[in-house]
Amino acid sequence: MSKPDNKKRRGVTALRIMALLSAVLIVRLGYLQIIKGDEYAAKAENQQLSDKETTPGRGSIYDANMNVLAQSASVWLVYINPYEINKISDETEREKVREIVVSGLSVILDMDADTIREYTQRDSSYQKVKGEIENDQREEILNLIDKYENEKDPVDLGTIIGINPDVKRYYPYSSLASTVIGFTGTDGVGLAGLEYYYDELLTGESGRTITAIDGNMSQMPNQYETIYAAKEGSSLVLTLDIYIQYILEDVLSEAMETTKAENIYGIVMDVDTGAILGMVSLPDYDLNNPYVIKSETLQKEYEEQLTANYEDATGDEPTEPKSKSYYQNLQWRNRAVSNTYEPGSVFKIITASAALEEGTANLNTSYYCSGSIDYATRTIHCWKLEGHGSETFVDLLKNSCNPFAVTLAGELGTDRYYDYFEAFGFTEKTGLDLPGETTPREGVLYMSRDNFSQSDLASYSFGQSFQVSPIQMITAVAAVANGGKLMTPYIVDKVIDADGKTVSETEPTVKRQVISEKTASIVRDAMEQVVSTGTGKNAYVAGYHVAGKTGTSEKLTEEEEDVYIASFCGFAPAYDPEIAVIIIVDEPEGEHGGGAVAAPLAGEVFEQALEYLGVEHSYTDSELELLVETAPALTGKTVSEARSEVSSKSINVKVVGDGDTVISQYPEAGREIPSDGIIVLYTDEENTSKEVTVPDFTGYTVSEANRIATEYGLNIKISGSSLNSGTVYAYKQSIDQGETVSMGEIITVYFKTTVDVSD
Amino acid sequence: MENKSLSESSFAKRVVRKHLCYGSFDIWFLIILLALVCFGLVMMFSASYPYALNMYNDSTHFISRQAPFAALGIVMMLIISRINPYVWKHYAAPILIIAVLLLLVVFVLPQYKAGFYRWIDLKFTTIQPSEVAKFAVIIAGAVIYDKYKNHMSSSRVATTPIAQKVNKKLGAGIVRESWVPTWLFCGYFILCSLLVFLEKHLSGCILLFAIGVVMMYLGGVRQRWFVIAVASVAVLGTLVCVYIMATKDSDSTNILQGYMKERIVGWLDKDYDPTGTRWQTNQALYAIGSGGFFGKGLGNSTQKYMYVSEPQNDMIFSIVCEELGFVGAAFVIILFVLLVYRGIVIGLHAKTRFESLLAMGIVFQVGLQVLLNIAVATDSIPNTGISLPFFSYGGTSLIMLLCEMGVVLAISRESSLNKK
Repeated sequence: MSKPDNKKRRGVTALRIMALLSAVLIVRLGYLQIIKGDEYAAKAENQQLSDKETTPGRGSIYDANMNVLAQSASVWLVYINPYEINKISDETEREKVREIVVSGLSVILDMDADTIREYTQRDSSYQKVKGEIENDQREEILNLIDKYENEKDPVDLGTIIGINPDVKRYYPYSSLASTVIGFTGTDGVGLAGLEYYYDELLTGESGRTITAIDGNMSQMPNQYETIYAAKEGSSLVLTLDIYIQYILEDVLSEAMETTKAENIYGIVMDVDTGAILGMVSLPDYDLNNPYVIKSETLQKEYEEQLTANYEDATGDEPTEPKSKSYYQNLQWRNRAVSNTYEPGSVFKIITASAALEEGTANLNTSYYCSGSIDYATRTIHCWKLEGHGSETFVDLLKNSCNPFAVTLAGELGTDRYYDYFEAFGFTEKTGLDLPGETTPREGVLYMSRDNFSQSDLASYSFGQSFQVSPIQMITAVAAVANGGKLMTPYIVDKVIDADGKTVSETEPTVKRQVISEKTASIVRDAMEQVVSTGTGKNAYVAGYHVAGKTGTSEKLTEEEEDVYIASFCGFAPAYDPEIAVIIIVDEPEGEHGGGAVAAPLAGEVFEQALEYLGVEHSYTDSELELLVETAPALTGKTVSEARSEVSSKSINVKVVGDGDTVISQYPEAGREIPSDGIIVLYTDEENTSKEVTVPDFTGYTVSEANRIATEYGLNIKISGSSLNSGTVYAYKQSIDQGETVSMGEIITVYFKTTVDVSD
Repeated sequence: MENKSLSESSFAKRVVRKHLCYGSFDIWFLIILLALVCFGLVMMFSASYPYALNMYNDSTHFISRQAPFAALGIVMMLIISRINPYVWKHYAAPILIIAVLLLLVVFVLPQYKAGFYRWIDLKFTTIQPSEVAKFAVIIAGAVIYDKYKNHMSSSRVATTPIAQKVNKKLGAGIVRESWVPTWLFCGYFILCSLLVFLEKHLSGCILLFAIGVVMMYLGGVRQRWFVIAVASVAVLGTLVCVYIMATKDSDSTNILQGYMKERIVGWLDKDYDPTGTRWQTNQALYAIGSGGFFGKGLGNSTQKYMYVSEPQNDMIFSIVCEELGFVGAAFVIILFVLLVYRGIVIGLHAKTRFESLLAMGIVFQVGLQVLLNIAVATDSIPNTGISLPFFSYGGTSLIMLLCEMGVVLAISRESSLNKK
């Protein structure tokens, strides 16, 4: 009986051991499934859920006429999977594949082969090779993949080279309005300007696609897919008009060269709404290459100071060289809103407005300027040291007389004067929808009301000892232009969605009525006289009644002495203002008066901008004399007929050839030629075009220029300050000296004066 | 003449009768078995279809191959259940020799994969000789420990010629009578497992060895040897683990092949995964954990979508866990325990000691495979490829298993169970 017992015992014991081990495994399972279940389930879910972000298209930026200023385009990004190459076990095969990839991509993408080879050696399964590639390059890559897949000895390039959608931001106008528009980083996030300020709107909302994916990263069948649609970015329609912007940029960049100024910045504003039509800050940059220093001067300065500091390093105190980003920031800076300056005499507009509004002065108020005034323990000199003598109210602005301004401010007193300082918006941000607007800091940029002393009052009356930003100044002057309403300036007219539907539209906002319509109109008249006969006469544009005020202030810098800021701020036409313009020339070399440096620039901007806007001319009698004529159609007529036809107009003819009939004429019929201009008539078949070399008109007076023009058989259109024909001199001509043009060509010659424009 | 022919025909009948068995088999064993087979097929289909669809573009790729094998296997099982278990004892010698020959044949056949000799390709199917070897080892154990049953508890000096020679050389009485069967058996199963090891089939080797040890235990080898063996394996195993962990970052460890070392290190250090060997284990754990208490429901596993690699094979249990939860998984384990239990009962009531050892050996082989498979899936031991009986995909393996179950059923016919 012991044997079956033994047999039984062994079998039962073995069964017990097995049952015990099974129980252990069940406990283990319980631990894994019940206690650790959630953790593992989360991990499983984590790998099974693909949460893909769908990036919405970034909105565009348009100018007022729907010209595209910034736009995103679909491009492609090429990447490789180095792992797929390096896992090939056979060395010759592996290197063969590597070379196919390297040589193929380097040719198509125009890249250095070694760089790509280095990419293929990386320990990674994703390596970006190049982004922002165009469709044709993508096609070439797809062809390359195809080609090797269909070879006798196929290479599966499709697993190695991949192409993903990518987005590129294009700025069709390169540097136009660059400091306003701004740019985006490689991740598509706005970094400056409107791109930064309206980033959220432009970006839209990214969507998500949540899907269950299997271990091969493909979608699991019969599993859910949840899509949260992306909201496409909205687009901005600006009030900015590329033509006005172009005019402003053209005028200012030319001035950058002639004045050799550090910076020049300016704004063109619609006076009734506060809408920004143009805004320039120079030096600027190319939006498509924002990191490249565009200005040659800046680039040279950057390079020079690098080596200069290297040499200094041997000296006692080596100074840190400034980084490239310092210079990049200089060109990205929108000085029209970010810089502050002493407004100088331009601020007399505010002083005059306050005195008129408060009734402490009127049109008949007179003053005698002796050249200086003792006020609040100090003596204040007028810029004209010998004094302006007896003056009327209008002369305050026309002569830009400092003692007169101090006297008027003194009559108002600190408190009332400060009321207007505040009312015109100099203690607050204008609220313009652009980034980087300077916050006026009390006690730093201007004196607080509590500390505003009599001495401050005197300085403030002619715009010294405090700082304002250009946008503040032009907004205040626009208030004078529009009848006393201080507007909130804006640059985005409306926001439209991807379908072009208007999402929101900016309504012009009146902040407050600062001065009455009556006060405003008196100041406007005075400002018009500043331009027609006063210090601003270089801003004069025939037929447009420009009103404005010049300003000059000394920059208080530690490094240099005698550096100035010349400015002009004004609007036109004076009796029904449309646009306001502010021009600030920062550190011009040589001449530095606002009337001499900034006013001519404003004049050019006014002339071109108002013409573009189609504002009708309203000529004075004296201006009418210089008015243009329309060239009559003389071709086909006999020479005598032609002569008799022009005799009724102030047009001269010059006949070339011995023929009887006019075969062709220049300028052609319908073109505008100046009064007393010339039309060249050709009568010979053989000779229908006569050319002349353009002479240098600069430096001559109007009559001298006219004489030279007649001599050469050219027409000149006179622009700028031309009424005081004795004291104006040409400073610029539309076609450069030495160029060859057809006889009879119309050349615009710009004149300015140097007399009595020192401020 | 008539008489003679009658006696001839009765001789033939006797021979036939001698090779067959009668009586009814154990119905409980069959019920549990069929439950497992059906359950296994359903789960295999559920676990395999995403992989089949992905690999072969046909979600029924695996089930359409496995199901006929299961049907064939059940038929073969029923046929074998009619064969007198005595046959296996009678033909033991050729079976043992054929098993070893098959193990040797693979070495001269083309390699299935560089360095791996495991399968014999019969064109219509493949045979894994180690499957045959498992059965052979069980038969060897049963035969030897049956034949020498009286030696086991004896303390006399061995009387076999070889033993006498050894005893003469080394001094009288060193080779005991009780050692002889164990030496014979050890010689056989160690030879088999060594050959399988040379085929680089580590899991098969471990399994063969374990079956051998179980047979030794059932055969009556003194218990103290097992205590010593378990203790020394524990000590040695710990030492090996410590040594491997200490040198895991150097390439100088030669005591184990690279992939074995990595699996052991990966088991001990869950974060060690230089070549992604832990991926498979982790995915199985994620599947098991995702199941929770009640599971996601049949067919609802998400881990089988190319996360658990070849979910129809060794890691199928993790999909069972995910779809049926702790409840279903525990149920499967209990079913297996019941199968083993019923097999042991059959063995305990078997007519002869040989039949008893054979029946118990067969069900313990199944039990061992289940334990090892689930232990691997639950990361309780280092990863090694052992399939889950009746669940994992594999035609020959399934047929072989069902044939063995037929043997157990045949034994149950002869047993005293149904006489009660």
